[in-house]
Amino acid sequence: MASAFPERAVLIAVVENSGTTSQAESNDSIRMVAYPATAHGQAGWVLTASDYLGASQLALEHGAEATLVLGAEAVSLSTEALQGLAGTVLRGGADLAIPRYKTGPRDALVSSALLYPLTRALFGASIHLPLPLDAAFSARMAKRLASTARRPDNTTDSEPLLWPVSEAVIASFAVRETEAGKRTLPQPLDTDLNSLLTEVVGSLFSDIELKASFWQRARVAVPAKPAAEPDSSTGQAEGTVDVRYMVEGFRNAYTNLQEIWSLVLPPQSLLGLKKVSRVPAEDFEVPPDLWARTVYDFVLAYHLRTINRGHLLGALTPLYLAWVASHLRRSAGDDALAASHVEETAAAFVTEKPYIVARWRWPDRFNP
Amino acid sequence: MGQQIESALRQSMHRVLVVLVSFLPGVLVFLLAVILLTALGLLLAAMARRLLTAARFDERLAANETAGSPASFSDWSPSHSPTLLVSRAVLWVCILAGVAIGISAFDASYSTNSQLSQFLLPYLTHVLGAVLLLFFGGLLARFLSRTVLIGAVNAQLQYARFLSLGVKWLVLVLTAAMALDHLQIGGTIVELAFGILFGGIVLTLALAIGLGSRDLVSRSIEKNIDKPAARPVDPSTFPESSETPRPKLRHF
Repeated sequence: MASAFPERAVLIAVVENSGTTSQAESNDSIRMVAYPATAHGQAGWVLTASDYLGASQLALEHGAEATLVLGAEAVSLSTEALQGLAGTVLRGGADLAIPRYKTGPRDALVSSALLYPLTRALFGASIHLPLPLDAAFSARMAKRLASTARRPDNTTDSEPLLWPVSEAVIASFAVRETEAGKRTLPQPLDTDLNSLLTEVVGSLFSDIELKASFWQRARVAVPAKPAAEPDSSTGQAEGTVDVRYMVEGFRNAYTNLQEIWSLVLPPQSLLGLKKVSRVPAEDFEVPPDLWARTVYDFVLAYHLRTINRGHLLGALTPLYLAWVASHLRRSAGDDALAASHVEETAAAFVTEKPYIVARWRWPDRFNP
Repeated sequence: MGQQIESALRQSMHRVLVVLVSFLPGVLVFLLAVILLTALGLLLAAMARRLLTAARFDERLAANETAGSPASFSDWSPSHSPTLLVSRAVLWVCILAGVAIGISAFDASYSTNSQLSQFLLPYLTHVLGAVLLLFFGGLLARFLSRTVLIGAVNAQLQYARFLSLGVKWLVLVLTAAMALDHLQIGGTIVELAFGILFGGIVLTLALAIGLGSRDLVSRSIEKNIDKPAARPVDPSTFPESSETPRPKLRHF
């Protein structure tokens, strides 16, 4: 921190009893304070509402010009990344800066399949990790985050998540993404993909539902962004993932879950999935437009409560894994191809946005 | 002979008229009670609907429901509106109260000594209880079968649909047996049939799961046996000591 911000007064807040305050040395430019750990404990692998609330309250108390919230394993971030994040807010005029790490084709798959495309299409923010591990924000963004984080969120049993990008966008604040190089990505303690997907995607769908009045009317222009510099260290050296197992899983789901999918998806999408299920594993691909429409249908069903929300999100898991299989097959261990596929998916979400807008307004209209 | 026949007919006619005269006011009172209570129910239901709509009951309830919660209140509601469910419940409670009052009044006004309401009222409540049992049993069966189906598919079990159907029919058979028992129909035959059916379904499921998961269980046991005893891991040595032959997917 001292090397990253040599000419600035920096206040560092660390969780009480973590032992860091006693070990660290304070000097003229750096002060350290302790703040109590949240009641829920820290989720660790991602920033939660209570993290934003704690950071924002401290920032407002001390009149901080900019706040940098760092998640678990932040020691793996380079000094340049920290400077870039803070500088984007302090000098770049942004209210929210979200880092973009160098990731491999098998990293951050939920963000690539769902979080990034939805955030880009609906909120016009081309941020690849909308559920960030680290973030920097301005004083007015801190106020906004604090007020949002205080709102009770009963959509999840665990610690509530907060979506800073959509918050910033609806407040007409400037959001920027900064290149942050390589970072160790902490993984959730709970390894059950279904429950994690339900928690994260359910929270995002709730956020989309809450902000429907914004994205229904907003005509957002999404600037095309170049793909990030690939992380060559996680390339083909580790070998390719065998997608056959995932494809078989999708076929099994297609055979068994038709009854539930037919409540959510229109016949055209079901037909598309049928075609996908018949393709051999070596040519397996979920077309981006089909994936986009499918996700939009699930968002709508979540809003309309067509079926129990837990069931709905559970029924999305095999479809997501089908996208993952498609992504892995398309990328074939090549980072550039993977990045290109992610951008293609996100572009399909933008193209298909009128579909969700129309269905949200007139859900009962005939939809072949 | 003719006079005797005429007299007998007159007496019969008289008895019919007497019964009719004593019966009609009862019917009238019954209808009046039902109509009045239905009107009252409509009024109360409308008031409840307006009150709950003004209080944003649906939104508040939706906000309090969690994503992973079991069958939510709105899942049981018509058009997924809890307000509509409450207002309809109020209406039907009033209608049923009207029927009950009507039967009592009918019995009181009926001049014969037959205690119709003493038999009919408890049986009506039993019928109502059975209908409610069937309704909630059906909902529970659907909810549980979907939960099992999705869970089994996500666990990549090939027999997910079979498992889900088994659970559904288990709950439905249990519900039907409970309803029949509640109505006191069938007696021991229902209990016996239920025992045989329920046991049969459980045995079928157990056999299916046992046979289907044989490989899964043996693999799991082998994995546990092969796994060395848990020991504290030194984070600094973790990358070197861990075996990573397969590429790992990072979903988050």
